[in-house]
Amino acid sequence: MPMRPGASASGGASLLAAFRVVFVGGVISFRALFNWLNPYIYVPTMLIAPVFQILLFAYVGRSAGVADDGFYVIGNAVQYASIPCLFAMANTIAGERFTQTLGIVLSTPVNRVALFVGRSLPVVANGWFVAMVALFVGGRVLGVDLPLRVWPGIALCVVVASASCTGLGLLQASIALRVRSTAVLSNIVFGVLLVFCGTNVALDALPAWMAGVGRVLPLTHAIEGARRVAGGAGLGEVAGLLAREAALGVAFTVAGLLALRYVEGQSRRHATLELQ
Amino acid sequence: MSILEARELRRSFATTTGVLRRRTDPVEAVRGVSFHIDRGEVFGLLGPNGAGKTTTIKMLITLLLPTSGSATILGHDVVAEPRAVRRRIGYVFGGDRGLYERLSALDNLRYFAELYAVPAREQAARIGELLEMVGLAGRERERVEGFSRGMRQRLHIARGLLHDPELLFLDEPSIGIDPVGARELRQTISGLREQGKTILLTTHYMFEADELCDRIAVITRGELVATGTPAELKARVSAGSVLEVEVFDGLGDRLSVVEALPGVRSATVTTGETSQTLVVSIDAGADVTGATLDALHGIRVGRVVSRQPTLEDAYVELVGS
Repeated sequence: MPMRPGASASGGASLLAAFRVVFVGGVISFRALFNWLNPYIYVPTMLIAPVFQILLFAYVGRSAGVADDGFYVIGNAVQYASIPCLFAMANTIAGERFTQTLGIVLSTPVNRVALFVGRSLPVVANGWFVAMVALFVGGRVLGVDLPLRVWPGIALCVVVASASCTGLGLLQASIALRVRSTAVLSNIVFGVLLVFCGTNVALDALPAWMAGVGRVLPLTHAIEGARRVAGGAGLGEVAGLLAREAALGVAFTVAGLLALRYVEGQSRRHATLELQ
Repeated sequence: MSILEARELRRSFATTTGVLRRRTDPVEAVRGVSFHIDRGEVFGLLGPNGAGKTTTIKMLITLLLPTSGSATILGHDVVAEPRAVRRRIGYVFGGDRGLYERLSALDNLRYFAELYAVPAREQAARIGELLEMVGLAGRERERVEGFSRGMRQRLHIARGLLHDPELLFLDEPSIGIDPVGARELRQTISGLREQGKTILLTTHYMFEADELCDRIAVITRGELVATGTPAELKARVSAGSVLEVEVFDGLGDRLSVVEALPGVRSATVTTGETSQTLVVSIDAGADVTGATLDALHGIRVGRVVSRQPTLEDAYVELVGS
């Protein structure tokens, strides 16, 4: 029998339970909410669509003669991680609304930080996979030759990019506790990241205010870092960029968790949990 | 000993209409509800749609803050100590949703076992016990999307019991279930009662409440209008008897004629597929059969039955008054 609720769990038991919610619960919830993402949906949406985005901007770039294909392949591949990271994180709440499990989940005593951090880990992994496939396929199609030795560094940059972007997605998820749909907002944020993060236009070429905004958004520093690694820079040379990207990710994650806590309290006050 | 104490619970909502000229009107869903539930008791909360049953439950399970009033569960305040309350309660609602359709029954239970911090080494045994108890053993690896409504409902109950809660909320668990499934569900709830579980049950089915509940509260328009055992409610509201007359033509103004007869407390009509049934509640000692049939002169009459009042008769009078 499970421990009777009257007995308080020891600190160690609570910690273990929280770890299990993060790692075991996170994977089960990802399967629960995204099992509809079968190969017929996943491959075109997540693996083929980013290649079209890469091709579009690479050919625009060629026509304009602004930058080489590698600039666009890396920028758009890393930026495309935002599709799973933004949409999937927001859907961890919106999907619960659809299945009407949100009230049940929130009526459990589960530690909310463990719950939502757990839900973010598979999303980070998915974002990383999508970006890496896009980078590989896009590079092959356009003939961008990335030597084998640069791939581990780029992979690390993409991990940090996916994690920081998932932090932004978590902030969006808090909004889903108050409104029915977050897809519109996710699309807008995707567009903002496309324009402001130096994906296709270098920050130096953007108006100063746009570059300023880009510097406090996820992806910007990771894209820059990945480009430098692809250009031959060592990890030590991009450590600062990655640290800034990670710091932004932590800031967005903390903001997201605080927002979730606040909005959950407000939803108890305003009865918004059961919106369909 | 009371496990749950609700004192003057109130909840109002603001409804907004209009786009340019927005107008906000307050709606009082629950208006000062007080009751208690003792350990081991099955307590029924009955009322029509929109009476405030689910709003009351949501306040008790910490999903909604009361506008005023208070409630404690095992001594923990539902507003100030939500996590302590959540550890001690289980919540099950009726209907198709509320489960992860594309996961198996087993994975649904495994997930909620994690959320309720059931220790990993105990999960398999606990889940096995519950699947056995709700009759889903052997089906646990199937996806929930292929389950019937009755199976889903029993899985809901298993989910609600994973952490062995001291108080279980069952919000219309039998809604939309076929008679066989509903009977199995009642057996499951009876089994829980025998195990000593404390249960708050809401249902629209009076025979279900009569069979399962130790005490019942009737709520209508956000207020409790009666509380007592099923026998007390029947006796309190309808001391007397009930006359049922099956009629095959429209009653027209005859209903008001019957209502006006001496000894008649109330008269209502239920409509069936081929006939209507006139249900006449009669004062103790009165005999209005002859007068009622006289009042129905010229109308084709079928079966005429005199019987003792049921909980449903009591309920109809309470919520209709």
